[in-house]
Amino acid sequence: MAEKEMEVLNDRDLNLDEEVIGDRPRRYQRRRARQVIPDYVDWKDVDFLRGFVPERGKIMPRRISGITARDQRRLAKAIKRARSMAMLPFVAD
Amino acid sequence: MANRTYEVMYIVDPETDADRIEKLNDAVGKLIEKEGGEIIRMDNIGLKTMAYEIQKKNEGHYVLFEIQGSGQEIAELERRMRVNDMIMRYITVRVDEERKTAEKRRNKRETRAAKRASFRQNATAETAEVEAEA
Repeated sequence: MAEKEMEVLNDRDLNLDEEVIGDRPRRYQRRRARQVIPDYVDWKDVDFLRGFVPERGKIMPRRISGITARDQRRLAKAIKRARSMAMLPFVAD
Repeated sequence: MANRTYEVMYIVDPETDADRIEKLNDAVGKLIEKEGGEIIRMDNIGLKTMAYEIQKKNEGHYVLFEIQGSGQEIAELERRMRVNDMIMRYITVRVDEERKTAEKRRNKRETRAAKRASFRQNATAETAEVEAEA
């Protein structure tokens, strides 16, 4: 999982900055959403929601997707609804 | 009376015959109308592979209804769905409020975009005027 997260981070190296705190450079980046969240998040739109559930089936954290808190809440709700109707997995392995 | 929009989706056991599913859907539609609701959309999505097993089954027959009403018909419908063996799972989602806020957001964005566009137009017109004077 940690590896997977790193991969995602590397995908969007564009805004990477390095900041040295202590003895280890810490990587951080400005948050920027890669994808546009529609005004109405449809819980039935599995293809769209899938973009926010990586392989393991977990909901992608905001620090990686870069979307706003508001969108994250709406998205999480939609994903959970889709899960309860077996359109998305609770856990996938 | 409050007018609300709901989405009701249910998964029917994939081993039921097609005509029984048809009958079930008809019954649901009739029940809603009897209770004073209005069917906006009815979508028989059909057999789909599920993300995990439900009652040892890997597929399910999905059906979606969009209903407008007071909420009373939803209560009755859920009661019936709970006791129906054919229905493996169901969900009801109230969608009107979220849709309304989405609509509001879109309108806001559009008016803002329009304002910006008109401002930009004025700005270019002004610079053109200044240039003409000079």
